[in-house]
Amino acid sequence: MTDHPIRILLAKIGLDGHDRGVKVLARSFRDAGFDVIYTGLWQTAQSTMLAAMQEDIDVVGVSLLSAAHLTVMPEVLRHRKELGIENVPVVLGGIVPEDEHHLLYEMGCAAVFNPGASVEGIVEKFKVLAADRKRLSLSEAIAGYESKNNAALGQLITYIQRDQVDGKWTPPAGSAKVFGITGAPGVGKSSLIGKLGKAMCEKGFKVAVVAVDPSSPVHGGALLGDRLRMMWGEPGDNFFIRSLSSGKEYGGLGPHCADVIRALDGYGFDYILVESVGAGQSDVAIRDVVDKTLLVLMPESGDSVQFSKAGIMEIADMFIINKCDLPGADATEGQLKSAVGTGRPICRVSTVRSEGIEAAADLLLN
Amino acid sequence: MATKPISDPQAAPVANDKPFYGPQDVAGIDYARDLANPGEFPFTRGIHPEMYRKRTWTMRQFAGFGSAEDTNERFKYLLGQGQTGLSTAFDLPTLMGRDSDDPLSLGEVGKCGVAVSSLDDMRRLFDGIALDQVSTSMTINAPAAILLAFYIAVAEEKSVGPDKLRGTLQNDILKEFHAQNEYVFPPRPSVKLVTDTIEYGTHHMPQWNTVSISGYHIREAGASAAQELAFTLADGMSYVEHALERGLDIDEFSKRLSFFFDVHNDFFEEIAKIRAARRIWAKVMRDKYGAKLERNWWMRCHAQTAGVTLTEQQPTNNVVRVAYQALAAVLAGVQSLHTNSMDETLALPTENAVKLALRTQQIIACETNVTSVADPLGGSWFIENKTNEMEAEANEIFREIDDLGGVIGAIEHGYFRRSIADSAIKQSLAFDSGEAEVVGVNKYVEKDYERIDVLKIGADVEKQQVARLQQLKRDRDAKRHQQSLEALRKAAADDANVMPFLIDAAKADATVGEMMEVMASVFGRYDGGPEW
Repeated sequence: MTDHPIRILLAKIGLDGHDRGVKVLARSFRDAGFDVIYTGLWQTAQSTMLAAMQEDIDVVGVSLLSAAHLTVMPEVLRHRKELGIENVPVVLGGIVPEDEHHLLYEMGCAAVFNPGASVEGIVEKFKVLAADRKRLSLSEAIAGYESKNNAALGQLITYIQRDQVDGKWTPPAGSAKVFGITGAPGVGKSSLIGKLGKAMCEKGFKVAVVAVDPSSPVHGGALLGDRLRMMWGEPGDNFFIRSLSSGKEYGGLGPHCADVIRALDGYGFDYILVESVGAGQSDVAIRDVVDKTLLVLMPESGDSVQFSKAGIMEIADMFIINKCDLPGADATEGQLKSAVGTGRPICRVSTVRSEGIEAAADLLLN
Repeated sequence: MATKPISDPQAAPVANDKPFYGPQDVAGIDYARDLANPGEFPFTRGIHPEMYRKRTWTMRQFAGFGSAEDTNERFKYLLGQGQTGLSTAFDLPTLMGRDSDDPLSLGEVGKCGVAVSSLDDMRRLFDGIALDQVSTSMTINAPAAILLAFYIAVAEEKSVGPDKLRGTLQNDILKEFHAQNEYVFPPRPSVKLVTDTIEYGTHHMPQWNTVSISGYHIREAGASAAQELAFTLADGMSYVEHALERGLDIDEFSKRLSFFFDVHNDFFEEIAKIRAARRIWAKVMRDKYGAKLERNWWMRCHAQTAGVTLTEQQPTNNVVRVAYQALAAVLAGVQSLHTNSMDETLALPTENAVKLALRTQQIIACETNVTSVADPLGGSWFIENKTNEMEAEANEIFREIDDLGGVIGAIEHGYFRRSIADSAIKQSLAFDSGEAEVVGVNKYVEKDYERIDVLKIGADVEKQQVARLQQLKRDRDAKRHQQSLEALRKAAADDANVMPFLIDAAKADATVGEMMEVMASVFGRYDGGPEW
């Protein structure tokens, strides 16, 4: 194993919701020190491989218990080819009749696991596949970045994250506006970012998201799950999400987060949204790397005691009250207004109902 | 919020604390208060005085695959083999409220159940079956109200009124948020929709079970027995409270609520779980909600053997596992039972495998004589102690749920998903370490075990179904279709009961996907809540 966490992606494609196995695996991989990106339910072959490209994934694991593997896997492999990331091995887990295994290997799957496979064996296989993966060299990644190749961007970010660029390269200056988006766990930051990103892309802007999730303090691995709430159908090239694990000592942001943002800026994104871990005193750190900070709240989280306690209240430039479909939105807005006074905008949205998204996006765009 | 594990998950039966049990282990039990005779409150020993002496349980095998015609044929076969109730499995697109021609349905049409997108599909599914003669169970949740509307409309075409229909709609959306993930709308409007069906059923369908409150999926997703018990009953109480808020009379609607439990490997624990469920429910219905009619204190339940215990390796061993689990269900006094087929871990079951699973039940009923006495294990020091333990653990979990603001609050906190995932990972570790022994998988392993034939669904089912659906969309009366959907949208927005509008839309050939989309425009779509 390398010094840096292996980055894997676990995905469920299609409508099947049986996620017991994939969730057990996600946690086991994290505990084995991997960075695990779980894309959640109801993904398509395309969204899965797009995520693999943006996240610079070492091994993709697809879980299918719906008997659709002979339809879905060819699609997965087709998108892998189209995205130019044939260097990423794809593994299938699920209910696959034995006499169909050879078909899957022949079409290009790196491994097939059936129920009853031991977690240990699966983890070992992923380690071997990750070690064998042929990545772009730093200079190839830089060249690809300069010719606007998203797959190269994904791999270059990994070099930056791992502090392997080492002064050999600095990104060109860009003109992106950078927003920090923070708020307590459960207020719906990621869903909101997904909706905002979609609204901004639909207006023709290029949007990048940096999602920071906490590393497990015990094992060094991380479960990077935010991405699953940010994606929609077929986002295309103008929406680029990168998940980072935070490490403990960076005040809610990951190591080299600022460098990653600079690289995205130089690549030509118009807007960069940085989601940070939870809200709290430490999150004030976000202010150093962004132009504006946006605090997300929800009804019932809004008693004035909480407001006054959080240092984040002072540094926020704007506020979004999410989940306004829930009772108590008026009261929360009232309390918020009296806590922050005038001059800083307050916006109400419901990501569940897709209400207020346009107005919130306009707030960022202007 | 940190969740503390309530009990160790029982994938691997763990050793009991003690080598044997005696009178001291049941010292606090008052026979009349805690047990009573079968058929008497609190019904720990069963809901009927004579249990299976009078009538055996309903043998109900879940079936559905391919096209409506394929499943119709399987239904007729099962009825011909002596099965007494139908149980419909829908395919994933239908379960998720999507039409067969939806892009997300690709490759999944007819695979794990039957594809039903329209009234026309439902008509073909029940072709030649007298709907006033059978009881039909439909395993469907997010779009349950729509499928019920189809069923009512098909029955009407056969001149069978809703009051004559017997059967069960699973319609348990809460456990989808905990475990199975087949939700579409957010929790609150989802429960409103369930309450609509309860209200409609109460007024128009006196013989129809409106909700089958299910622990099965919770357990299969990794919960322990105590978690299954507590989460399921908490869900039941949540439905009751929503129906009461709607202004329904407890004694009118609660008789149509039924339950559905998993029967896992730990033989005595499973029996204790179901006995505890009856006792808890009876007390809650009588004392907390004030139901006056005795039959409304009954926890009636369906059970299914645990699919998760079946193994791909040495698959014929599964027949033996299923037989023990089925025996536990019978000794626990369930009202109906599905026995899994030995090949279900590989694919949908073949006809022969389903028959063998049904025969397993028939052998218990006809040959073992366990049906000759109600609650034969009652009074066993071990069983009664274990039943008490289950009840105590459930009460502890109810308190945790209450602290989070009830079931919906706990969903929004991610409590259920996290608790279940914690249990699942423990089971996985126990299996990997060999502490949990599974014959044929990590114990008594054979490299070259005997393979069995499995059922495969051809791709032509999907092509045919998609073509037929698109034909229907072209041929239907566009104006009537549009009007019916608009009326549905308005009803949803006005917070009216949507059932009559769904029935109208069904008759206007609106599809499952279209009706779901209209409701989603009002209710919103849910992205799953906290995951870890």
